[in-house]
Amino acid sequence: MNRQHRISRRRVLGRAAGVGTVAAIGGGAGLSRLEEALAARRAPAVLRQGAPLVYWGGLIFSDEANQMLVDEVTAWGEANGVATETVMINQNETNQKVSAAVESGTMPDALDMGLDLLLLLSQAGELSDLGDLYATIGGGEGGWYPSVDASVAADKLGGAHTGIPFGASGNLLFSRTDALEAAGQTPPPETWQELREMAEAAQEPPLYGMGLALSNVGDGNLQISVMQSYGGRVANDEGTDCTIASPETAAYLEWVSSAYEAGLFPPGATTWDGAGDNTAYLAGQAIFIANTGSVSIAMDEDDPELAAATSYSPLPAGPVGRVSPINPNVRAVPTSTQDQDRAKALIEHLQGRDFLERYYAVAIYGPVLQYQADFEAFTGPVRAGLADLVTNGTAPGAPDVYNTAYADFSANFLVPKMVQRVVVDGVPIEQAMEETQQQGQAIYDKYR
Amino acid sequence: MAVVTVPGAGVRGERRRGMGFAGRNALTGYLLLVPVLLVLLGLVAYPFFYAIYISFTNRVVGIAGEWVGLANFRYLVGQPSFQRAVTNTVTLVVVTGLAKLVIGLGLALLLNERFRGRGLFRSLVLLPWAMPGFVAFLVWRLLFLPIGGGVNLLLQQVGLLDGVIDWLGQRSTALPAVMVATVWRGFPFWCISFLAALQNVPTELYEAARIDGASAWQRFLAVTLPAIRPVVLTVALLSSIWTANSFENIWIMTQGGPSDATMVFPVLAYFGMQTQRLGEAAAVSVALVPALLILVFIVTALMRDEE
Repeated sequence: MNRQHRISRRRVLGRAAGVGTVAAIGGGAGLSRLEEALAARRAPAVLRQGAPLVYWGGLIFSDEANQMLVDEVTAWGEANGVATETVMINQNETNQKVSAAVESGTMPDALDMGLDLLLLLSQAGELSDLGDLYATIGGGEGGWYPSVDASVAADKLGGAHTGIPFGASGNLLFSRTDALEAAGQTPPPETWQELREMAEAAQEPPLYGMGLALSNVGDGNLQISVMQSYGGRVANDEGTDCTIASPETAAYLEWVSSAYEAGLFPPGATTWDGAGDNTAYLAGQAIFIANTGSVSIAMDEDDPELAAATSYSPLPAGPVGRVSPINPNVRAVPTSTQDQDRAKALIEHLQGRDFLERYYAVAIYGPVLQYQADFEAFTGPVRAGLADLVTNGTAPGAPDVYNTAYADFSANFLVPKMVQRVVVDGVPIEQAMEETQQQGQAIYDKYR
Repeated sequence: MAVVTVPGAGVRGERRRGMGFAGRNALTGYLLLVPVLLVLLGLVAYPFFYAIYISFTNRVVGIAGEWVGLANFRYLVGQPSFQRAVTNTVTLVVVTGLAKLVIGLGLALLLNERFRGRGLFRSLVLLPWAMPGFVAFLVWRLLFLPIGGGVNLLLQQVGLLDGVIDWLGQRSTALPAVMVATVWRGFPFWCISFLAALQNVPTELYEAARIDGASAWQRFLAVTLPAIRPVVLTVALLSSIWTANSFENIWIMTQGGPSDATMVFPVLAYFGMQTQRLGEAAAVSVALVPALLILVFIVTALMRDEE
């Protein structure tokens, strides 16, 4: 017997809803990958002939530096008969883009990255050993800065030199000397407690004292360094167990929460995005910020008056010392790159003295090789500060062990979240510490 | 032995062996469906089931990983961020859904009436929906800024506020502020869908109701609502799924903070991706699936009842 099918509007809407649901769920998962893409990841060389050498550069706040990098890669390609394609990547999104590229087999031939990603990709065996290149570049006069050399040591990266440092990042303290001097204060503050006192004495809302991010962004993780300078530790000396719940961490939380209660942080600091401190300082809402130097570029261009009223200094110290980590930015070559020699040749070229001398003059990096300290770029206040940081700064993560568990802990912003629990939710310091201890231990347990 | 020939028997036999008109028609229909089915299988079903699979592994980027059973889910359930994400996602979906329903339906009823400039208003109402999401939410973020933000400035100007409110920076106001932006961005879809449905309601029904003495409210309840009910259900379902999976509203405005006050599933999954632990990130996404499936079953059951 034939069954009569009636296609009603409701039936169509219902089916459409069902299909839409599955599509939305699939899209929400966001983790799709075709197996064929994996096979294509290491495509035969013959298929790649004629393909350009793809380089992912890391975007920084200086348009001039970004363009200079693109032009240099293009010029190198033309001089060597190599077709090149440079893609500038927002460094806040490098992790996500690289994750997708690894999974889909579309990694570039060479790319810039920070230390966190270098660590993760090296341990996953995704990066080539650049030991020869590392030795060649570092074999010149003076060699690598010891702090830079230690940061990318082979024993931390699965036994190989997988990254070639090209610039050092770190935080400097920016101080509004005009506001501080008007209040009878003389920057720079030597300790975090002194900074709080100066801020309290000088602030006049809407100019707030402490423009430090307490939000779930990279800038918020500066609070790890502050906590460490108070003696708090993320983990034990072996880097195997979380030890954040301690009297030292409690002392740090007391410092930050009392400053928050006193109204020294600009409103919104708990939800700032990556440019929150930049914006606050440029808008005249913060006396102190900790910044990698990008603000100075904006000030030089748009607000010379503010630039003249700003002084730069190392981060203050806590009761147990100064914790001011350097973070070398590196270039790497994925193992999936077909023409390893050309990729290495490009990296070696970009490490040349001529290019870097011009590049550092407009970029916001500190030097990585000792001879670079003589560059004129490092005579200006901000870049001189970065050069000083490379000499006197602390190793990444130090005094904690910088390993994958530490990187995971940082990426989950557990310290700024711990602060938020106290200052936003008003939970007792002991409770906030204990919650963070449990979450941190759960992270460290994953890496046993 | 005599052979008895039955007239027409051969022809019927051939017909049985071959394919009739209806069969050929059905086959053509199925063949036409094949490309769409392949696309759905490749781009929807495969990623969906693959995400479910890797949520049960300890896969990280570049490493295949091993089967770990429910370990990722056990880890997630123990995390305060996950617990917050559950409550926030449900709250966000329910509250914004109801708000969009009320605003969308109200505006659709207004725009269904005849008045001067109706076409212009119908176009204007689409603007929030047509605007790129990140622009819309960035504008809302600026509006909610504690210093110099439009909302505080307005309240100060009219004398309702002395000082500043950190709308996005305190637990009591962060999620409501995100909801306001989400509703603003999403209500036009509801409004336009309802408007299209309203235009399909036969005017004879209203005339009959009017003759029977029904008031405007009674006509709305007895004629309008039943007529547009299937559209309401479908729009509610789709919008709920989109809201549950929405990322840019939260990420741009609060990054899930402060103190997880606005943490939702997609943002939590994004944090998982930052450490390249695909198994955990997939588990976050997959954890949302049962809730969405229940929603789908409820709505489709309601629509079936309607039929």
